Amino acid sequence: MRIAVCAPQVPFVHGGAEIFTDTLVAELRERGHETELVTIPFKWYPGTKVLSQAFLWRLADLEESNGAPIELVIATKFPSYCVRHPNKRVWVLHQFRQAYELDRTDLGQFSEEPADRALRRSVQRLDRVALGEAKRLFATSQNVADRIERSTGLAAEVMPHPPQELPYRCEEYGDFILSVNRLDRAKRIDLLIEAAALDPALRVVIAGEGPDRERLEKIARERDLNGRVEFAGRADEGELASLYARCLAVYYAPVDEDFGMVPFEAFLSRKPVLTTHDAGGPLEIVSDRRTGLVTAAEPPALAEAAGWLREHRAEAEAFGSAGHALAARVTWDSCIERLLS
Amino acid sequence: MKVSYFSPMPPERSGIADYSALLLPALRRRLDVQVVRRGRTRHARGTDLSLYHVGNNPDAHGWIVDALRRRPGVVVLHDFVLHHLVAGLTIGRRDGHGYLDAMEREGGVVGRLLGHGVLDKRIPPLWESRPQEFHLAGEVLGLATGLVVHSRYVEERARGAGFDGPIWRVPHPAWPVPPIEPARIEGDPLVGSFGNLNSSKRIPQLLEAFARLRRDRPNARLLLVGATSPGFDLDRRLQRLGLSDEGILREDYVDERRLWALMAACDVCVNLRAPTMGETSGSVVRQLSLGKPVIVSDVGWFAELPDEVALKIPVGDGEVEALHAALELIARDGGVRAAMSRSALDLAEREHGLEHVAELYASALEQAAGGEAVAKAVLGEIAASAGEVGIEPGSPEATELARRLAEVELGR
Repeated sequence: MRIAVCAPQVPFVHGGAEIFTDTLVAELRERGHETELVTIPFKWYPGTKVLSQAFLWRLADLEESNGAPIELVIATKFPSYCVRHPNKRVWVLHQFRQAYELDRTDLGQFSEEPADRALRRSVQRLDRVALGEAKRLFATSQNVADRIERSTGLAAEVMPHPPQELPYRCEEYGDFILSVNRLDRAKRIDLLIEAAALDPALRVVIAGEGPDRERLEKIARERDLNGRVEFAGRADEGELASLYARCLAVYYAPVDEDFGMVPFEAFLSRKPVLTTHDAGGPLEIVSDRRTGLVTAAEPPALAEAAGWLREHRAEAEAFGSAGHALAARVTWDSCIERLLS
Repeated sequence: MKVSYFSPMPPERSGIADYSALLLPALRRRLDVQVVRRGRTRHARGTDLSLYHVGNNPDAHGWIVDALRRRPGVVVLHDFVLHHLVAGLTIGRRDGHGYLDAMEREGGVVGRLLGHGVLDKRIPPLWESRPQEFHLAGEVLGLATGLVVHSRYVEERARGAGFDGPIWRVPHPAWPVPPIEPARIEGDPLVGSFGNLNSSKRIPQLLEAFARLRRDRPNARLLLVGATSPGFDLDRRLQRLGLSDEGILREDYVDERRLWALMAACDVCVNLRAPTMGETSGSVVRQLSLGKPVIVSDVGWFAELPDEVALKIPVGDGEVEALHAALELIARDGGVRAAMSRSALDLAEREHGLEHVAELYASALEQAAGGEAVAKAVLGEIAASAGEVGIEPGSPEATELARRLAEVELGR
């Protein structure tokens, strides 16, 4: 089958969504499908750019290419699912979150001016139309499916996707908490740094890059942590697998996250996940004292939880193993079978 | 965003006053809403948008139309037929010419002549005898920059009357069910009817169908809650049908608490209506919230209720027979009652939940206030880019662009 996988491209940004679409293309090819990744740059500011840039997808003609039909498109993230195609399937990673749960928060984009309020509603209306056209609609988590249902009235099937292929293993339950994430305010890595400031025995390794790095480094400097917080930058696959293999637990607590592959990656390394009650999607697989610890989104609570794991390594191992059993069930075979059926 | 809100409010006794009292707290969590005092026609300072609740009662809504005339805005059209309202705004203010003009606008010369007939008292008031034939919504529709409606029926009638602005369909909000005990009333089944007792509520048909039901089911009882309209001789009808005190229970005006308790006691609630003025029924919404099976007329908003929650009775020929069959089904089949009850509860939560409705309102009002600026900006940007690469207005390429924009509801 000829398949176009559609995803927006934010130039010079590479994160979980990009890894996901690259992997999806590779997995489809591996199963004999002629597959291409189609991207269009996306800039969502200022003002109505979010709509005019989204509209570019509407002008793309993906019904055929070079005289041969494209039988299926799989769109992933806003605004790529605005694309037109008679056999459009959407596997929603993200809607435009500023128009939904991030609205009227520090991470929001739309002011209280009538034009901004209407712009937000236009994004929602666009979602309703574009997602409504899909022959099949999947969401990566129940959190995403619930949001789609609330905002558009459309029912999406929940289908988590497998994490990236890494040489996952567990070498030890070491002496540090690992954060793997883009360094972005919404990921709340500052909470973990503040927790380290409260517990002199807590060591933290932060893998990833992003616009919040400078602020996070400043916090770490100001708290005088004597090198207990280490910024590892963007880790390559080998380094990342090694960090997962050696850490005590993995911290992952963005605000109301849609899904996130990190908990699955942690579980495949048999590591428990430390998250917060308001983290959204991760809570669908991270259960308190079963596959990790779930606390209040406050540094003292996180410091206490990290300390508890340090002193209860057998439990940490048991939580990680329980998570491993969950993550092992999510495979590309099962996802692609559902996606194409 | 600031909204000036024009509506009857409690303690005024009107369904729309109750509606606004219910909606406002949830709406205020989303928007800055200033309720305008009754009788004032100026909007609040700094208003971005005015919202006018318009129904057919001139006493409750006359001042709101006066305010709408000062500053057009979004109208919540609670009834499509506004003949009684317009009569109050014209004849009621000694403005016979205004009434004639309204009749002519809608009915041409024939309408004007009929208007003369009304003014000269040669024919009965049309708002009582034939209101559905002359809705007289033209002026309100002409002033509205957008409409909020509760039903597809009103949306279609508004479009049919030439309204070409945006219309948002928003369900009637449901009241939270208070903690009440069902009233202790016997009846197997207990059939409830809530609202004024008159011909347009099809009370004659209800009484006849109920009399038939009672022949086979002597324990059936009919609870009639509401005032008898002037000229409607209920007692004579009951006597003629042989419906004794034992089969009929009557309560006139009841307070809110008693209303819920009485509804909760019923096995089924009957809500017939013909003709319809395009109204919704707060009473039916309450009954759904209680999980009651409902029987309704197959008209207007009532016809749009899902079949799973409502048995629908066609108006006219066979009406009594169909109603009797529906009552018999409900009485006989506990499984049907239970299934309808579950569907009613689900519908009340899913469609009529207060937060859901308030969100739809906020969405409509935000689009009404700023949508034009957004559309203009998006169109401007796309048109400019198209122009830069040589796409001329009116060219096939420009038409294609417009078509694609319309597909995703951009550019309006």
